[in-house]
Amino acid sequence: MSLLKVKDLSLSFGGVKALDDISLDLNRGEILGLIGPNGAGKTTLFNVITGVLRPDSGTVRFRKRSLNGLRPHRRAQLGIARTFQNLQLFGSMTVLENVKVPLDALGRRNLFFDALGLPYAVHAERAAESRARAVLHFLELLPFADILAADLPVGIQRRVEIARALAMRPRLLLLDEPAAGLDATETAHLAELLQAVRERFQVSMLLVDHDMSLVMRACDYLYVLDFGKLLARGRPAEIRDDPKVLEAYLGMASPRLRGEVGGGPKEEAAPLLEVTGLAAGYGPIEVVRNVNLQVRRGEVVACVGANGAGKTTTLRALSGVIRARRGRVRFDGQDITHAGPDSIVRRGLIHIPQGRGLFPKLTVEETLRLASYSGEAVKSLDPAFDVFPRLAERRRQVVGTLSGGEQQMVALARALLVRPQLLLIDEMSQGLAPTLVQQLFETIAVFRERGIAVLLVEQFVDSALEVADHGYVFEQGTVAHEASAAELRADRSLIESSYLGRDAEAKVVPIPLNGHARRDTGQMEEFLLTLPADLLRALQERADEQGRPASDLARELLEARGQ
Amino acid sequence: MSRPVTRPLRNLALAAAAFLVLGWAPNLFHLPLDLQFDAALAVIYAFAILSLVLLTGYVGQVSLCQATFLGIGAYTAAWLFNVFHAPYLLAMAGAVALSFLLGIVVGIPALRLRGIMLAVVTLGVALVFDRYFFADHAFDWFTGGSAGWRVDGTVIARIPMDWIGHALNVYRFGLLLLLIVAVLVVNVHDSGSGRRFRAIRDSELAAATMGVDLTRYKLLAFGLAAAIAGLGGSLFPLAAGQVSPQPFNVFYSLQFAAFAVLMGVRYVPAAAIGGFFGAFVPTLLGRWHPWHLEIRYDWFQVALGALLVAQLIAAPDGVWGDLRQRVAHLLRRRAKPKVAIA
Repeated sequence: MSLLKVKDLSLSFGGVKALDDISLDLNRGEILGLIGPNGAGKTTLFNVITGVLRPDSGTVRFRKRSLNGLRPHRRAQLGIARTFQNLQLFGSMTVLENVKVPLDALGRRNLFFDALGLPYAVHAERAAESRARAVLHFLELLPFADILAADLPVGIQRRVEIARALAMRPRLLLLDEPAAGLDATETAHLAELLQAVRERFQVSMLLVDHDMSLVMRACDYLYVLDFGKLLARGRPAEIRDDPKVLEAYLGMASPRLRGEVGGGPKEEAAPLLEVTGLAAGYGPIEVVRNVNLQVRRGEVVACVGANGAGKTTTLRALSGVIRARRGRVRFDGQDITHAGPDSIVRRGLIHIPQGRGLFPKLTVEETLRLASYSGEAVKSLDPAFDVFPRLAERRRQVVGTLSGGEQQMVALARALLVRPQLLLIDEMSQGLAPTLVQQLFETIAVFRERGIAVLLVEQFVDSALEVADHGYVFEQGTVAHEASAAELRADRSLIESSYLGRDAEAKVVPIPLNGHARRDTGQMEEFLLTLPADLLRALQERADEQGRPASDLARELLEARGQ
Repeated sequence: MSRPVTRPLRNLALAAAAFLVLGWAPNLFHLPLDLQFDAALAVIYAFAILSLVLLTGYVGQVSLCQATFLGIGAYTAAWLFNVFHAPYLLAMAGAVALSFLLGIVVGIPALRLRGIMLAVVTLGVALVFDRYFFADHAFDWFTGGSAGWRVDGTVIARIPMDWIGHALNVYRFGLLLLLIVAVLVVNVHDSGSGRRFRAIRDSELAAATMGVDLTRYKLLAFGLAAAIAGLGGSLFPLAAGQVSPQPFNVFYSLQFAAFAVLMGVRYVPAAAIGGFFGAFVPTLLGRWHPWHLEIRYDWFQVALGALLVAQLIAAPDGVWGDLRQRVAHLLRRRAKPKVAIA
């Protein structure tokens, strides 16, 4: 039986199916990877397994025992530990104290002994201390033991989260994006670390990450989720070549546009936006570093790359929503690196964020009339209604009741009325049906005709590159490649590496066939095989012939089948 | 790793020293009678603030009804003493037990609510007790009616403890209890239980996932905080000789929260400082006549508000927290990472 068995799990949030009939098996000693685009339901699945969320239907079994209805701390006591995507360390405690928390929580100490400082409590404290230090030592965290967790850089904080989870001596460790905010070398180090942790702590893992170089290296087996559904499963190498997975990640089936919209690049024009060495992030996390890019007047530029590669953060830094930490941003000949968002808007740089940034209670007409970033009233709404006739029909409707696509139209129409010099659009097509996406991309051409430059961040890579003149491929917080859109369209390998980590040599761990080199039996699943007598006889005969145990032979045969 | 062993001993020694110094300091100053009463009141206030150190400082739960628990403690002790003629120490124990149970009841909403919503609920509890329970005739059996209870001639361990001529005895007795409870609360901070409490404050989600039973520890924190306040409240009849609803109204609850935040809600010593500050400063201000001006009590509240604003800007960790940090900085005791960050 498997260590963790998830069966037919479903969970909806207000009509949206976050998990749709998910089943998953995790075997003892396995590092199982869970991948999928944003919103695929990975973190939701974690929350259901740890008991933070209650599923609508389906079961979770752990070590042959149903977890349904158990509260989170009970599941922790059974041996399920986790780390968090958005770090959840106890910030006001030292690293050592952080690691001690699960140790006390699982112990039998009580407040009475603690308050009186009785010998029993002192003894338990010493035991917790030495165990915590042992865990910290293994993760090379001892030098930080007495530092407040909140004061550490993200790379270290992520390791402290793993240490804290391991201090529980869990059977199963759930890792939620442990590589987020790490650079390439740190990620490579993490992959090795996870392997070492598995051997040392005899723990099985379920790993969620966008960083394919980590997932490909660390995991034995992968499950791919998309829109709450199980899309594919298999070994890392198989998944990498699975067309369905490529489609989910790259939007290969993104709608074809009618005719070629992208014109020739206008090389002669001076750059409207010039970004050099930009770095930005949130709190202790530096999400992007050393970003260099340019947008010329009237040019359409696409930023593509995996989730978490830093595209959105870059846009936010450009429009002044978050502060740039290093580097320079020049717009229209002026330095706007440290300008506030309002003054940047007045200079003609407009940002349509993911989620569109509309006022849900206003009508379409009111929204468009408000479109006066410069302070002047909008004279006529006709230019907007010419491009989006559908909005003319809905002019009296409240924006919040429009469909997602119509809302995106309102956001674009509003930008069109203001006539900015540069428009930043973040994930225009997110959550929209393909036909609508096609329509929206066509309006990008209208912007170009009117001399408005556009910087797009897009999941539908192909559509974006078709409409764009130039493209930047983001990888791990910085620009990995830059080329004309035509070149990027021609050479897909440049893009795919960002999404699926093809550059990173996937480590193939050969499974040794002569028993003892294998991990110890505590880390193995028992599996009862029912064979017809003739097959069993054949197996035994062959084993006798070769003078080897039948189990070795069976493994060899299965292994050959797998390759 | 000798730290965990010596800490409790060190705390005990510090508490003993504080008892000797603070306990007999009033004799040096020949305090007049009204200030003797204030000294006892300071200890009672310190209990209320100490309860907030545990509840808010450690566990991160807001409560705006700690004066109500003082009142529960005071009324229960006076009721047991007057109606059942219980020895006063036993009456105090009863007061602590009842406060603990009520605290757990008040803590139940905290399992679902946090922040401002929890503050509103506890404020509601304070108002209900303030305007209804302590004031309505339906509860005369418990509150002693509009005249309240009188508590006279109490003797604890053969030492006279009452408001007539023995206020300093009450003060010392209260101080002794306060220091004992304070040592216990400090011990909890560095222990496994304390870490569980603080884990809840920093991240409930992570705490639960690390095996901390949120329900149990939150309710425990509310119960213990109420018990501490109740213990302080049970000293009130000794110091004042009578019990009436006024000293336990909702404004005192708000003031205790203000004192706690001002002095540093995460630190036990801040409770004592806050208690003395809250009891003595208004009285002393009332005696001070700069340029023949009359300083009224309202001015104290205005000044308190201004101080709070100043503190939140200049020393967000409270007066004691700020002081601590400055001293630590001077001594350069803050550990620095010894290796480069890998």
